[in-house]
Amino acid sequence: MKKSFLAGLAALLMPAFVLAGEYNLTVDRVQIDTGDFVKEGIGYNGESPGPVLRFKQGEEVTINVTNNLDEMTSIHWHGLILPYQQDGVPGISFPGIQPGETFTYRFPIQQAGTYWFHSHSGFQEPDGAYGAIVIEPEGREPFRYDREYVVQLTDKHPHSGDRIMRNLKMMPDYYNRQQQTVGEFFSDASEHGFMNTLKDRMAWGGMRMMKADVEDLQGFTALINGKGPDQNWTGIFEPGERIRLRFINSSAMTYFDIRIPGLNMTVVQADGNNVQPVNVDEFRIGVAETYDVIVRPRDEQAYTIFAESMGRSGFARATLAPEEGMEGAVPELREPARLTMADMAGMHGMDHGSMDMSSSGDMPSMDHSGMAQMDHSSMSGMDHSAMMMTEGGASDPFYAKGSGIVPVAANGGKFLSYADLRAQNPLYEDREPTREIELKLTGNMERYTWSINGVKYEDADPIRLQYGERVRFKFVNETMMTHPMHLHGMWSILDVGADQWNPIKHTISVQPGTTVYMETEVDEPGQWAFHCHLSYHAAAGMFRKVIVEGGPDSTQAKTDAVAGNGGEA
Amino acid sequence: MSRVRFMTLGLLSSLLLPTTVTAQEMMEDTTARKQALTTWGVQFEEFEYRYSDADEELGVWNADIFYGTDELRFRWLTKGEYEIQEQAYESLENQLVAQTPISKFFDAKAGVRFDTPEGPDRTYAVLGLTGLAPQWFEVDASLYVSNEGDTSAEFDAEYELLLTNRLILSAALDATVAFSEDREIGQGKGLSSTETGLRLSYDLIDRAFAPYVGVVHERKYGDTADLAEAGGGSTEDWFAVIGARIAF
Amino acid sequence: MNASAFLVAAAAMTMSATVFAAGAHSGGHGGGSGEPGKASEVSRTINVEMHDNYYEPESIEVNPGETVRFVVVNKGNLVHEFNIGTPDMHEAHQEEMMMMVEHGVIQGGTLNHDMMEMDMGDGHSMKHDDPNSVLLEPGKSKEIVWKFSEQGNIEFACNVPGHYQAGMYGDVNFN
Repeated sequence: MKKSFLAGLAALLMPAFVLAGEYNLTVDRVQIDTGDFVKEGIGYNGESPGPVLRFKQGEEVTINVTNNLDEMTSIHWHGLILPYQQDGVPGISFPGIQPGETFTYRFPIQQAGTYWFHSHSGFQEPDGAYGAIVIEPEGREPFRYDREYVVQLTDKHPHSGDRIMRNLKMMPDYYNRQQQTVGEFFSDASEHGFMNTLKDRMAWGGMRMMKADVEDLQGFTALINGKGPDQNWTGIFEPGERIRLRFINSSAMTYFDIRIPGLNMTVVQADGNNVQPVNVDEFRIGVAETYDVIVRPRDEQAYTIFAESMGRSGFARATLAPEEGMEGAVPELREPARLTMADMAGMHGMDHGSMDMSSSGDMPSMDHSGMAQMDHSSMSGMDHSAMMMTEGGASDPFYAKGSGIVPVAANGGKFLSYADLRAQNPLYEDREPTREIELKLTGNMERYTWSINGVKYEDADPIRLQYGERVRFKFVNETMMTHPMHLHGMWSILDVGADQWNPIKHTISVQPGTTVYMETEVDEPGQWAFHCHLSYHAAAGMFRKVIVEGGPDSTQAKTDAVAGNGGEA
Repeated sequence: MSRVRFMTLGLLSSLLLPTTVTAQEMMEDTTARKQALTTWGVQFEEFEYRYSDADEELGVWNADIFYGTDELRFRWLTKGEYEIQEQAYESLENQLVAQTPISKFFDAKAGVRFDTPEGPDRTYAVLGLTGLAPQWFEVDASLYVSNEGDTSAEFDAEYELLLTNRLILSAALDATVAFSEDREIGQGKGLSSTETGLRLSYDLIDRAFAPYVGVVHERKYGDTADLAEAGGGSTEDWFAVIGARIAF
Repeated sequence: MNASAFLVAAAAMTMSATVFAAGAHSGGHGGGSGEPGKASEVSRTINVEMHDNYYEPESIEVNPGETVRFVVVNKGNLVHEFNIGTPDMHEAHQEEMMMMVEHGVIQGGTLNHDMMEMDMGDGHSMKHDDPNSVLLEPGKSKEIVWKFSEQGNIEFACNVPGHYQAGMYGDVNFN
């Protein structure tokens, strides 16, 4: 702590040694070949995904972005803490980048870790406009590795983003090919009885909800670093080496369950922030999230990185091997997940009591603090059902109790839960929030409308925050879909019941039928986007503008501007 | 603590690079994202060839073309039956309606309908309700008032049974009830006609092109049947159909 | 943040009825890496700092059969272990440590000492009193006197779950 203070002093005293780097990106029409199909899309510097931008903490970066498209574009630096004018959201941070124009981003790199960047205009991101950011820390990392690879996932679809949005509006189940069939009715009936199955179907039909509504968008080819499963992106290693894999989910819509059969993974970073290491066999990566894991393959063999989509409609596949061309076995996709009534618990007018949801299900953080208390108490207070919460498995405090989409490790081992995440080194003092803001995540699948508190972005007033406050956001998911909520510009401190050790993220997945809390230190002035990161949910209205009132910018900016003008003259 | 350092650094750099922080006013969002999303679509529920048990051949379509937002959609609903041998429209109906949500699963619609088949034309005012009923029945009920002052009602329901995720058996029922007689167009009072269809389709290209085969049963009732018989027409027909559902 | 962690740690220490005991008796764990040494035979002292999540130094040189005093200090914000053993021993020990985490004995920056004393029902406890290791809360320091074996593949490692895998280990190189 003293050390970092001294480093801070040093930074103050020696401004002349600030690093500076200049980078150039062009936004281009590109061909994207997934192995299954070739599609025109959008990329950076002539390719999709774009280049990996490597920055150093403390560096002043200048990034010249030239728009070679015939439409407006923008780049958002996902997860980076920067002045709001540099955040790259048209209409909120800046006007956007016109065709033919070069826009210059300038901002200091204040953090380290794995991040990514993408267009925030239209559906350019699903069309291919994304890339990775790797920031080297000033000090040493709290872990060791011999080599590192970016593993960037996406769900490339043969249809353009505009067409997908239109099809979803026309037929919300347009892309769902995992709906329950007559055959499934009879197989369920033989397993659970005819009447039970009929009752189950009637209950769902009565709500006009589909158990199979886990993924809105199927029919994609999942890519890793731009390569489809058959193109098999390969990372080389020497047996015995530690490899840091920087997983980034740049998908428009798809969550992935990731495993590397034969290897344990140690999660050391989530959303760019170091976490206390957790050994896992498998983890689920939400849209826009990043996880860094360390693996140590000891044998002279190929290992398959297998990323199944949450709904099991597709998979991404890559390989770690001692030499190019080696391949490991590719597992079969598991059975598609089905929602349960527990996942519907957040819907209005539902009787929570009748579904035995009264005592839990919607308060993961409470559950967990309850567990912490248990830990301090005597042995007799121990409860093995509660222990399961940290073990993940079929029960996870961040899913509704009895949820049908709780992930389970394919090998029966440890599946990462949000509840396992602890900050390695908390960024902020832990303090009481100044107030709570409730955000109900709402929508109507049959109309494909998505909103917050029942109001779409087009009709919504901004959320106003005061500079210097600490706000507690309460997400209540009243829909049957998972929403990765992303606040720009300021950190999202996920409440896992660990107080000062709560992990610091930029994107927080809120599962159906659950309530999740996050806290934000309002320490960046300006205005920011806050939205569901599923591309078609955000476009349909699950989006807000956040205005931070007060703070240094209101007075400081003018002074700076004057100084700036003076300087130029 | 480290946070404090970051902020200091940030301030410092903004002094060093003054162009990054200009005193621009916080902008209003006037981008497309802040506007209501407009969308459009074309769906041919039926686009088919019919062959009847009386050797009658028909070309039939039933389509919905829409444009609009979540709050207000404009729809052009067109359907017709073309008698191939006679080269004449047995029926030809076009509706232009505006539609708006009134509940979670239902919309109200209002507009005009133009019937221009072989024979007398009619223009109607339309008021209707359309949406998704419990257990996944797509229903549509419309009330019509013609320029002759006659009122009638039409009720449509459709249900899809997924044999597999691509092989779909769909059942459709269309019933018309007249509240007064319009002899000129052969419509009697009471339940006048039903059309029941059963089609087995296969989603060949996404949901954009799904060829199907099926059977359709048309029947006229009561005074309408009498009027048809008097005109030398049939009161009940069975058709074998082949066609495709089209959406784009 | 550091201050509050320290307060919690201090509170935990004062409330603890037992004294943290290491090297009290020879357990079955010393096996291939050596054995508890006698203070009188110590040839030199090596200072080891434990940070989040790495050691300084990250490797040490010893002579075969040498007895070394290790002064281990935890300079991090998390609980860490200093454990001398073969990779296999570390792997086996990691399972025990996993249990300690699952039972709330190790919680980020604190140790639950009451829990460590508790009888687990099968004659085991979670005392963590093997002579080849120390388990330390932030700010704490402890000594180990260790007589190394003649040769072998030996590492010092932190077996708090995930820490070894993240790279918190160091090599013991024999001269």
